[in-house]
Amino acid sequence: MTTTALKQPDTAPQRKESLGYRAVRMLLTQRIALLGLLTVAVLAVMVSLNSAGALSGSYDADYLAAALISAVPLAMLGLAELMVILSGRGGIDLSVGAIVSLCGIVFGYSYGVWNLGLFLSILITAAAGALCGALNGFLVAYIGFPPLIATLATFYAFKSLALIISGQKPISTVQIQDFFSAAQSVEIPLIGQNLPNIPLGIFTFLIPTAALVWVLLNRTTFGRRLFALGTNDVAAAWAGVDTRSNRMTAYVISGLISGLVAIVTVAQFASARPDAGVSGNGMALPAITIAVLGGVAITGGIGRVSGILLATLLVVWLNAGILLAFAGNEGTQFQLLALGLLLIGASLLNNLTRKKFGVLN
Amino acid sequence: MSTNLKSRAPAAGTPSPRKMLPRLVTGQEIVLIGIISVLWILLGFLTPAFLTPGSILPLLVAVAPIALIGVGMTFVIITAGIDVSVGAMLMVSAVITAQTMVATGISLVPALLLSIAVGALLGLVNGFLVAYGKIHAIIITFGTANIFLFIGLRLFGSSTVNGVPGTFDVFGRGAAGRTLGIPHSFAITLVVVAVAWWYLRHAASGRHLFAIGGNANAARLAGINVKPLVLMTYVITGALVGLAACFVIAQGTSTLDQSVGVGRELSVIAAVVIGGTSILGGRGSVLGTLLGAILVQTVTSGVTQLGWPSQLSDLFVGAAIIAAVGTDIVRERSRRKS
Repeated sequence: MTTTALKQPDTAPQRKESLGYRAVRMLLTQRIALLGLLTVAVLAVMVSLNSAGALSGSYDADYLAAALISAVPLAMLGLAELMVILSGRGGIDLSVGAIVSLCGIVFGYSYGVWNLGLFLSILITAAAGALCGALNGFLVAYIGFPPLIATLATFYAFKSLALIISGQKPISTVQIQDFFSAAQSVEIPLIGQNLPNIPLGIFTFLIPTAALVWVLLNRTTFGRRLFALGTNDVAAAWAGVDTRSNRMTAYVISGLISGLVAIVTVAQFASARPDAGVSGNGMALPAITIAVLGGVAITGGIGRVSGILLATLLVVWLNAGILLAFAGNEGTQFQLLALGLLLIGASLLNNLTRKKFGVLN
Repeated sequence: MSTNLKSRAPAAGTPSPRKMLPRLVTGQEIVLIGIISVLWILLGFLTPAFLTPGSILPLLVAVAPIALIGVGMTFVIITAGIDVSVGAMLMVSAVITAQTMVATGISLVPALLLSIAVGALLGLVNGFLVAYGKIHAIIITFGTANIFLFIGLRLFGSSTVNGVPGTFDVFGRGAAGRTLGIPHSFAITLVVVAVAWWYLRHAASGRHLFAIGGNANAARLAGINVKPLVLMTYVITGALVGLAACFVIAQGTSTLDQSVGVGRELSVIAAVVIGGTSILGGRGSVLGTLLGAILVQTVTSGVTQLGWPSQLSDLFVGAAIIAAVGTDIVRERSRRKS
């Protein structure tokens, strides 16, 4: 699926491989396998802690399903980062959180104040996100700004605009408060009786976005070009790829997804907060962490949708467990520690894999 | 970029080592000095209170921590690295120092050394992982930022640090923080900037940092000991964060709260890139960083003094980054063409 297979392991054919060696190699080279194993390990540890009575609540299927509500914005922004990091040349988007704030206000006005109706409001919000992304893309692809700098600058600008436009007050009119229903949990039809209720946002936002990104990356020429220019910008240009417009498109899509996340966030809080995406640590850092944890190479050209989704599941369920294992404030603090250790551990592992096996999928 | 070094290398037959040195002041710094002068004069006309010591001195005091951390960040970015954990490091240094001061009432010098040591230790963790772990610096420091934030918040517990004694008043905004009208914190920052400027320009290992940023592999093949030098840049950044933490404590009230340091990394990086340091490595100057920090702080306090909503200042900072880096890109492009 990825475009690089730079170095085949040359020792492999000669040696009779044991089962254990093959298992280790699969775990290290297939990020999906590792993430799957880690997720199972987290679930096993938490469930056993649960049955030992060490948790303050019950870590069961209902709780896990309810925790998925925080997976929606996280995974979607992870997908946004996937697009831009794939595009290479130091691709990164620090402004996603600020775009979420700004677009949340846009949605708050169009749906909650001007009463434009849900469909039109969503359209306007998504367009606003795409426009923000287009500014990033223009600066990076056409002017030649390093992505870190361009998106740092627009982070400041969008964050400031969101606060100025809204007069620093959250928008929570009746319509917006009623919109909370979009964040509720629903029963899956037909088979739902036996399953816990799943947050609606998974079906209305996350799955369509993930499907769209997957199709874009794997079933369109744009996707193949993106992998090509992320792997080697110069080679792609000589192969006739319009590196500028394709790179810009990646940033536009990132902005578009951030605009959609804004709608999810408004529904979750039942209010359009002007600092929704930038308060505290912001939304960009966790999203980048998810992308790296999901096996996206920060140098570009390597990454897949399933990695992002699995990494999100791992982080969300781990965080949900930590919240039960530690009381109050301590829980959120230990979540930071877990995220930091996971990120460094994952990247050290990436390195080891590259050294030992040459490829990383 | 490495082309910068190459283009300044003497032509064959003129082996004058003096010629290899870059100019004293770069174009970006002249542009920045111009912009800052125009802004100060403009603000002086619009709000007569701006060009008075009562307004300029607090501005310089506020510049000090950003510029100090910016010096370390410039070193790091010149080697093509980055450190996004400085905000979290600042929090850890500040909370440990403040709590020790409250608990034991230690005097100025030990407190200062403690803060710097804590910062340097955290920088050592970053530097070790970046230099020897061979992982992109932004990923490592995102990770350590989370871990440092965890440590800082755990130390805070769930409350603030109250009753911080005035040990650091010599670095503060008050009369105790000035000699002959010059704020001590800004004077120390100037000294640090001057030493760093000399080091980057004249010391062999300072020049090596540029070589590493231009092409680390080529630098290694040329006999430069890359890893220890990279490690050193992160330790220096950490130590300067520790020093800046003392300034931040001094500028605050007697209560230190959990928001200390939050988001500082972005304003420091903004100051560095506005100062003309290339995020791609191999090019940069600490003088530019100081000017960048002054520009950012001028915008911030200018907006407040004009009575505009203070949130507007971030918009201008964003625009300043685009303008500063944009002119740099255009200039670099025309230089390469000619």
